[in-house]
Amino acid sequence: MTVSAPRACAVVCAALMAGSLGYGLLRVPLQVQDSLPKIVEAGRSPGVWASFTSEIGTTDFRPLWMAESKVLFDLSRGHVHVAYKAFHIGLVLAAFGLFVAALRIETSVDLAASLFALSVFAGMNTFVGLVKEATPVNVYLPIVVFVLLAIHLSRGRGGLWMDIVAVLTFVAACLTLESGVLVWVALVAGRLAGRRGVSDRALVSVTVVMLVYLGVRFTLLPVDTQNASGYLAERLEPEQIRERFGAGLSRFTIYTVYASISSVLFSEPRDGTFVIVRAWQGGDIPPRIWINIVSSTLTTMLIAVAASRLWRRGSRDADGDRAAIRADLLIFGALLAASAVTSFAYAKDVIMSVAGACYAIVAFWAVRDHLIRARVGPAVVTTIVLLVASSLWAVRVVGVHHVLRTQAFAFHNDWPGLRNHLPDDPAARRLISTLRADALSRPVVNPWFVPRWADRVFDIDY
Amino acid sequence: MIRLTTLPALCAAIPPLAAVGFCGAVLGVAAFGHTPTFWQGGPLTLAEAAALRDQGEVARLIEGGADPNAEYALRPDVLAVSRATPLEAAVLARRPEIVQLLMGEGAVVDEHSWRHLHCVAVEIGQDDVVDAIDAYRPTTAGTFSCTP
Repeated sequence: MTVSAPRACAVVCAALMAGSLGYGLLRVPLQVQDSLPKIVEAGRSPGVWASFTSEIGTTDFRPLWMAESKVLFDLSRGHVHVAYKAFHIGLVLAAFGLFVAALRIETSVDLAASLFALSVFAGMNTFVGLVKEATPVNVYLPIVVFVLLAIHLSRGRGGLWMDIVAVLTFVAACLTLESGVLVWVALVAGRLAGRRGVSDRALVSVTVVMLVYLGVRFTLLPVDTQNASGYLAERLEPEQIRERFGAGLSRFTIYTVYASISSVLFSEPRDGTFVIVRAWQGGDIPPRIWINIVSSTLTTMLIAVAASRLWRRGSRDADGDRAAIRADLLIFGALLAASAVTSFAYAKDVIMSVAGACYAIVAFWAVRDHLIRARVGPAVVTTIVLLVASSLWAVRVVGVHHVLRTQAFAFHNDWPGLRNHLPDDPAARRLISTLRADALSRPVVNPWFVPRWADRVFDIDY
Repeated sequence: MIRLTTLPALCAAIPPLAAVGFCGAVLGVAAFGHTPTFWQGGPLTLAEAAALRDQGEVARLIEGGADPNAEYALRPDVLAVSRATPLEAAVLARRPEIVQLLMGEGAVVDEHSWRHLHCVAVEIGQDDVVDAIDAYRPTTAGTFSCTP
């Protein structure tokens, strides 16, 4: 199979982006909060099956995630940081690879659109959470990989093995995180869009497995859905949410669903909080907020215009492309809505990461459509919009590295205090002491060495 | 052959290529065993690390043999003083958590040094720093006034 020059170029660009993020991940020490207890538990666990079954009966039903932590710990042979980071980097590479593979890149116009889409994929506020946290394995990134894989499967030529892989992908996704049900959404949306890569039999199987999973998850296992969340310009703790809105479906639930959709389309609110309003109330709106909002709003406008044109009259492209574009738009819409519903309890940008990845796919089609139409007539507005949007997205891509650099310093500072809070268990003490020494030995960048404008221009951890 | 002949396509492609260039530079430098500029910090003295809330560096330096009670030089942009002990730097920089860390890592205060730190903290006027220092008040300190 020959690879076209434009596709090869896009793959190289994606590899460089993913590789540099991988380097950044290696520079970030292991996280203490939410991560160290799991690493210690992995060390204590007698085996992978014990880890797999350890969370059954608790509020977090993520057995595959726990098993991964155990497997990686055992394989690490003492090099715990390298083992967990290597797995995280592998997932990042897989996500970038599957994303580029989802794009149709044959001409120079396709290449231009794909480069724009790559910067959207990596610069999205929903993407940041996939790299900045690892407890000790990022739990949302595998879901993004599984959903992108499902999209590829539904596009494929079909066959028994594809069906088996589709079912296994769904099972693996649901055993990793509740958001794994988005794999079912992607498969069904792909079928409704006319893709036949996964057979009806497989779709029925996946649906049955999903119903069993939902039944077990939400009836037999305890559920604790309330976390802290943003609401308008403030951040509320779980008790405040219950006190103000009560339990169950409420104004707050509806708000988080719409807020989650908005975070993908307009980069506001962030984790449910309208940071622009909060910044305005504080008397200072830093450039990074405008960079995020303007880039996302312009891209959403490009998508909306292209989608409306495609739906009304079709594009200048061949009908085969039109079918692919409509399918990806439908899948994006379905995943956007489904992801927003899954974040009904609290708004968190990373929960929308699957929708963010698909947003970048439809951005590719939109930009491609605008570029093709730009050939046939004056396109001053299109040119200006593309220049502004792509420039701002490029800044956001660099900003992800800034977030990693900032997180490295923050995580580095979490380790010293453990010295006086070691557990009684000798094996755990030895493990934590070793991890602490390893974390402290890793050089990080003190913010004093970072130019002051960086925090104003690049995104931060809200 | 790759051609980008239209202005809109160039506008869409060049900024992302610049971002890719940044990523490539980071990766390329790292691949040759060097630290990319973006990830370069710099050495800090123990007092500077204390002033700049670098808990990890404070712990690393002390556990690597640095004396937590000695005086160290500070760069002009860090604090208004050119030399200070780590505890003085932490108090001047309003870092109560660094005070606690230093005490946990073996810093020692006697009656004289505690009074000095207490008075500096009172003069700065930050209650949490005063509380952090007062938590290590020597039993022999007695009552006194910070005003001369």
